[in-house]
Amino acid sequence: MADRTSQRSVHRALILKELREISRDGRFRVAGAVVLALLLATLAFGAREQQSVKAERAAAQATADDHFRAQDEKNPHVAAHYGTYVFKPSGVLAFVNPGVDAFVGVSLKLEAHKRNPLEGAKARDGTALSRFSRLSVAQVIELLVPLLLIGIGFGVWTSERERGTLRQLASLGVAPRALLLGKLLGLLGAMALLLVPAGLLGTAIVALLVDLGGPGTLPRGLALVAGYAVYILAWVLLTLLVSAHASSSRAALVTLLGLWVVGGLVVPRLAADAAVAAARAPTSARVAANVRESLTRGLPGGPDREARVSELTEKLLERHGFLGAETLMDASLLSGLELQAEAAFENEVIDHHFAVLARALDRQDRFLQLFGALSPVVAVRSLSMALAGTDGAHHRHFSDSAERHRRELVELLNTEFAERGGALGFDYKAGRELWAKAPVLRYEQPTLGWVLGRQWPSVALLVGWLVLAGAGALRAVRRMRVV
Amino acid sequence: MLVAESLRKEYGEVVALHGLELAVRAGEVFCLLGANGAGKTTTIQLFLGFIAPTSGKATIDGLDVAERPLETKSRIAYIPENVMLYPNLTGMENLRFFTTLAGRGELSDAELGEMLVRAGLARDAHPRRVGTYSKGMRQKVGIAMAMAKRAKALLLDEPTSGLDPKASNEFSGLLSRLRDDGVAILMATHDIFRSKEDGDRVGIMKHGQLVATHATADLSHADLERVYLEHMHD
Repeated sequence: MADRTSQRSVHRALILKELREISRDGRFRVAGAVVLALLLATLAFGAREQQSVKAERAAAQATADDHFRAQDEKNPHVAAHYGTYVFKPSGVLAFVNPGVDAFVGVSLKLEAHKRNPLEGAKARDGTALSRFSRLSVAQVIELLVPLLLIGIGFGVWTSERERGTLRQLASLGVAPRALLLGKLLGLLGAMALLLVPAGLLGTAIVALLVDLGGPGTLPRGLALVAGYAVYILAWVLLTLLVSAHASSSRAALVTLLGLWVVGGLVVPRLAADAAVAAARAPTSARVAANVRESLTRGLPGGPDREARVSELTEKLLERHGFLGAETLMDASLLSGLELQAEAAFENEVIDHHFAVLARALDRQDRFLQLFGALSPVVAVRSLSMALAGTDGAHHRHFSDSAERHRRELVELLNTEFAERGGALGFDYKAGRELWAKAPVLRYEQPTLGWVLGRQWPSVALLVGWLVLAGAGALRAVRRMRVV
Repeated sequence: MLVAESLRKEYGEVVALHGLELAVRAGEVFCLLGANGAGKTTTIQLFLGFIAPTSGKATIDGLDVAERPLETKSRIAYIPENVMLYPNLTGMENLRFFTTLAGRGELSDAELGEMLVRAGLARDAHPRRVGTYSKGMRQKVGIAMAMAKRAKALLLDEPTSGLDPKASNEFSGLLSRLRDDGVAILMATHDIFRSKEDGDRVGIMKHGQLVATHATADLSHADLERVYLEHMHD
């Protein structure tokens, strides 16, 4: 037993036996085929849908850009009011986990004086039932794969005891660690029969779409695969732990199904509600109302609108060397500078209220992640959405980027008005030459480091689940009753 | 080789084994006779380390079973009353699995088939799933597993139960060959005839105590039966 070759053949024998037993089990063949079919179907449909969404959004973006460039001659500030639309480009990995896309919206209107919320959320058009109508790859991996695992693995130790083979096994003098490793690899092997084809198809899909994705797709994809691998491994170990500990197969099955229901259905729901209750975030209507109020009265504790705008106007005049010479200036120049000062004031107000919102949402996010300590499903879901670029944080990241873009655009139009308007004032009109200068939003997803910086609690908890389940399984196998 | 020193096992109030003293030498077959519940199976399970002694100790080749569970198990082979195998695997696959785990490395189909034949399992049964086997056929796979392990000691708990007389007789032949090879054999059985035939010594157990030990050479079949029945009367 001490020498390596025989240890290796012991491991091989254990793995082979588990694989044979599992694969000759009719239940596994049927359930496995169903889960595999679901995985492949969700991958294929998810990818197709994502491609069409990507095409739709690109087309919508192009149309919006064309509209803006093709508009009639008009005053640049009027054009800023007229505004344009931007669409959130969907990341390549969104097909794995559509996350909150359907609930948050994907486009927003850019216009002077206002920061608009994301709109066009699909779920608003549907009923509550439509939430469940589309099964995603993530849901299959997060819920159905563990369920299948429970189905094939609950009796992995108890049935050995019940059938009497455990006595035979225990009389051989095989180290419990080797037995556990054999069972572990056997179950993983069975899972691999399902997950490897799905993984290959997933990779092929990403490879086909990768030219449409940014350079961040590969590290994110690898991190996603690693995250799911840790998750599934943790479930395998948890199954082995419960089966080794349980007094009968029935008890093991009931315990595992209980864990699945609580961890997969109850805790995630509870976590979402608790997070919202623990860190109240204003609704977008509330934020808009707060912004409106501060726009007239000034920020809480600060000067009112008029005072602040004239302060900012003076600063601008000073910067341009016109301070005290307002009477000598062109109407347009003054109006333009005043518009810029107003925009700066508006931006201060918007920044203040959106920062309040972002802080609340970040608190919710972190709070939610802590529930990963109660269920690995919460941890992996949070991580997977983040890596797929479809969580709330990514929508805020896009919305922030769109806001910066809006300011650039408004500033460009207002500056043009100030510098070129001359004596015409609001009668000054600009044409397509100016519209063509409008910046194009080049949105790039944040890096993997950014994601992990926010998701480290989920990563840590997921690894914690793996380590705890592993240690628990080894302990349970060492202490397992033979007779 | 197999030694029990003041070996005691209690289950709550019930004493299953009262301070057993027993030594089975290499190359000796010791048969344990006794009614159900006399403590035969408890003794064997203590040597296997499946249960922990309340006091005293069981040693194999000088090693305490409770302290060195893996080393002691690597020195023994075990055949229970009901050899249980994996029903979805064939007889051959079951044997390969258990011999590999027993540390014999990977044997060829021919070697494994030979072992099954020597244990009395017909060739046409080798590639069939064990789910279709009779109890006697499973028992034969168990015998092949025990032979393949090349253990220093055999622990047998009514190994021939369910075997037809011919197979039972063949098993006796296997036992005497193992004894000649220096294997220590402890066998629990109900079969007085086979005890006299196969055993060097017989021990009679009653209510968790070894009440008598006799060398089989000193007794005829009839004597042994009489001694046994005398002890069974209270």
